[in-house]
Amino acid sequence: MPHYPETTVIKGLVRVIRHRQLPHGAVHRRTLVSAGAQVSAVTVVLQGEVLREYHVLDVAKALKWPKATPAQVAEAILVTAGQRVRLGQELAQRGRGRRVRILQSPTEGEIVEIEDGRIILQSSERTVEVLARIPGEVESVENEVVRINGTGAVIQCAWGNGQFFFGSYLFLPPEGFAELRKADPTMSPYRGKVLISPVPVERAELLVAQHLQVAGVVAPGMPASLREFAMGLTFPVILTEGFGHRQPTTLIYRLLHSNMGRQAAFDAALPERWSWDRPEIVIPLPAGGVFVEPPSVIRTLEVGEQVRLTRAPWDGVLAEVVALPAGAQTIDNGLRVQCARVRLPNKSEVLVPLANLETRG
Amino acid sequence: MAAEQINSILVADLGSVHTRLALFDLVEGEYRLIASARARTTAEPPLGKVSLGVERAAQRMSDLIGRQLLDESSEDLFLMPESEGHGVDAFLAMGSAGRPMRVFLVGLTPEISLDSGRRVLAGSFVAITGTLCPDDLRSETEQLNALLTSDSDLILIVGGTDGGADDILLAQLRKVARALSLIRRGTMPVILYAGNQALRAHVKALLTPYTTVFIARNVRPTLHQEQLFPAQIELALVYDEYRTRCPGGFAEVGRYSQVGVVPTVQGTISAVRYLSTLPGTGRGPLCLDIGSANSVLVSATRGEPHYVVRTDLGVGHSFPSALEAVTPAQLRRWLPSQISDEALLDYAYNKQLRPATIPATLDDLLIEQALAREIGRMLVEAARPSWKMGLGPLLPPFNPIIGAGAILAEAPHPGVAAMLLLDALQPVGMVDLRLDPHQALAALGVVAYLKPVVTVQALETGALVDLGTAFCPLGRVRAGRPAMRVEIRQPGESVLRHVVRGGEFWLAPVAPGTRVEVTVSLARGLTLHGRRRLKRRLVTGAAGLIFDARGRPLAMPRPQERTRVLMEWLKAAMGGQLPEAAPIVPPEELHADMPDLAASERGLLAAVGDYPAWDEEWTDASLS
Repeated sequence: MPHYPETTVIKGLVRVIRHRQLPHGAVHRRTLVSAGAQVSAVTVVLQGEVLREYHVLDVAKALKWPKATPAQVAEAILVTAGQRVRLGQELAQRGRGRRVRILQSPTEGEIVEIEDGRIILQSSERTVEVLARIPGEVESVENEVVRINGTGAVIQCAWGNGQFFFGSYLFLPPEGFAELRKADPTMSPYRGKVLISPVPVERAELLVAQHLQVAGVVAPGMPASLREFAMGLTFPVILTEGFGHRQPTTLIYRLLHSNMGRQAAFDAALPERWSWDRPEIVIPLPAGGVFVEPPSVIRTLEVGEQVRLTRAPWDGVLAEVVALPAGAQTIDNGLRVQCARVRLPNKSEVLVPLANLETRG
Repeated sequence: MAAEQINSILVADLGSVHTRLALFDLVEGEYRLIASARARTTAEPPLGKVSLGVERAAQRMSDLIGRQLLDESSEDLFLMPESEGHGVDAFLAMGSAGRPMRVFLVGLTPEISLDSGRRVLAGSFVAITGTLCPDDLRSETEQLNALLTSDSDLILIVGGTDGGADDILLAQLRKVARALSLIRRGTMPVILYAGNQALRAHVKALLTPYTTVFIARNVRPTLHQEQLFPAQIELALVYDEYRTRCPGGFAEVGRYSQVGVVPTVQGTISAVRYLSTLPGTGRGPLCLDIGSANSVLVSATRGEPHYVVRTDLGVGHSFPSALEAVTPAQLRRWLPSQISDEALLDYAYNKQLRPATIPATLDDLLIEQALAREIGRMLVEAARPSWKMGLGPLLPPFNPIIGAGAILAEAPHPGVAAMLLLDALQPVGMVDLRLDPHQALAALGVVAYLKPVVTVQALETGALVDLGTAFCPLGRVRAGRPAMRVEIRQPGESVLRHVVRGGEFWLAPVAPGTRVEVTVSLARGLTLHGRRRLKRRLVTGAAGLIFDARGRPLAMPRPQERTRVLMEWLKAAMGGQLPEAAPIVPPEELHADMPDLAASERGLLAAVGDYPAWDEEWTDASLS
């Protein structure tokens, strides 16, 4: 019976198609690119605004005008529904000269409604700029969604802290973080570059990275208790494997190593169940005239395929499927589950639950 | 197709991790569960199309039973109606996958109407985002913001008795209308009104200009009467509509289903309610379903269901929130080896990242089983006030007890599944334990909407797995002292005698399906249904017969004895044999081909060179 494994794309060269849109709840303001345009990873493709709190402003009360008729209040109002207003902008005015009374906007935002002498204003929480996050060509712009098409190496990762950086990267020196602690940030070659650590990081290592003003950190794992701390950092933190003391997937770090010197997009998207964005590293590469396919996420598992194992005791190990036994098999802890027999790098063969392996796309 | 013409029914359960299909059909004049199959749920990105998982599960079922189910020649998903042994007469869908529906609750009094509103919602996969009532001390602006910034999918309005004073509720309705009038973008919540029936016309007039309004009978027609069922029926319709709007392609599956996509828990409630009305059962059943994202406890006595649904408790997607609710210290009570808070937290978040993965080591499996026990315990505590019966911290005498969800239904041994149920729920007396590995209970609850006779017959003909009868005496004896003297007589076999000692968990080694006569004599201080000696004729289950002399309430081992005692319990539950751990392979053997970073740093320019710059070893096949 066919098995459709999970896929985490780790590919040397694939077509990369990404859809960029405003985050949920943001209001679209401008689309800054059109179909056919070439974009860099840091090109702003969409602009929007997140509107949040509502303010109900009683005009007569604010102008200290209790006896005002509805018509007088309406006449005093200087804005209209749908209009954008700045902080402190005059919304209503009564009188002139020394006796003038003015109702100023308590916030930047948008007038939602004017009714019964009240202005309802929705405040602007923040403006949002959506970056292309990969270099490539804008294929289409539809319904405020920009589809970008590029080529390059793709490494999908397990977790990110929500930040993004595009630029070059360096591996941790052989002496590890101990060496970096002594470095002068102004002279350090790591300043402004993403630091690739093939060993898991702890709080102390992230603090060193922050001190050195690196542009990002990529590591196999870190303690889950540091999630909040990492999300407070201004540079991307990307975990390739997951939380805790995880072994690195060799292929990921070899891929990064082989492309060192190139620039890469470090997209530390925070994993979210219903989001299409995954934390990933994209190293833009020219297709060189070769037709490059996008990675496949709908494929049955086959004998001979290289898979990545995702659970202890083999987590992070790349193995080759040597057999797909029919029916449930008993694994070491007594569970009876559908399994694949895989060959590990040390040439030994073990049974691994099908649910615990994934293809590379 | 009319219900009387329907013979074969295919039911899909769209779970957070797995999509299960169960096929019920007429066999020799009786409806039975004839096949089940499952595939990974495909609602989430990168697939984002739940029907794909349904198709894969259907294909798997077809391969198993040689019956074609999928319609490859038309736009329909399934071959319908059944013809010449292929296809099915009806398809029904239920689901727990997807984001819980966000509900804002509006009512009059926190202790009466809002509580009734919460009970209406308790049977669905919802998250309450906020409440509003006249006692609210927030300013008008704050109340407006509470309604508008909660991003709710539904506003449930309750309050007032039929024909009672209506002006206060009317004021609340106006606030809701005011809020809806301001929504310009994003999600427009739908309204479910289940309050004073005299205001129905006002509700429609005020709110239909802005959104869809569902109206149900009042949850509190009088101050002393509560009727939740009509509102829950309407809520199921709202849920179906919500699912169709959700990402994941639920709308497509809902179109093929004759009942849309019903919340799985509603199916369970319907089936458990039915079981509680069967003559001769006496006490009602209890079903514990522990899922990846949600967990549910449903019980019923004489047709009246009680249920708790927690969308923050689960052993996959919801592992981190469940761990937070349970606390690591509570979890460690069930773990034979030492594990730090930090390691548990790492485990929780890794499981959330890859919820479909299976624990492959014994240590990992024990962590998940520990969480399942604690989730069960929390659900019992949450349900206890609604039962209004039982002795202090003990479970009321529900029978049978049914376990569902992969952590229970796919335990390494039926004895382990039985022990997990006993540990989580701590029943007292003689209780029949069953498993629902095919999610058949909920499926049959949904089938009851269409053709109740299928539910009746399939439940009587083995849709559930019988684990066996558990003997759980009330009281305690000291560890190691005789607690139960057991005699088991089987036809054609010598009498099996065993003394179950205090603190012992024992599975009688009797083949499943054997008719036996069991005599149990209890030590002083222990009773079974108020007696110290009893004799019963029973049929053994998959776990044989289960004797639990660990005390009620369950006596947990002291920390210094925890490893030994828990491993003894596990060994007993595994039928006397513990799984053997695989030899540990040093990580350097598995990650041997890591590049020498120092050397590669030095040879950077040489290594990168011109395009293409990757090693031959892992060059993609498509390019070679």
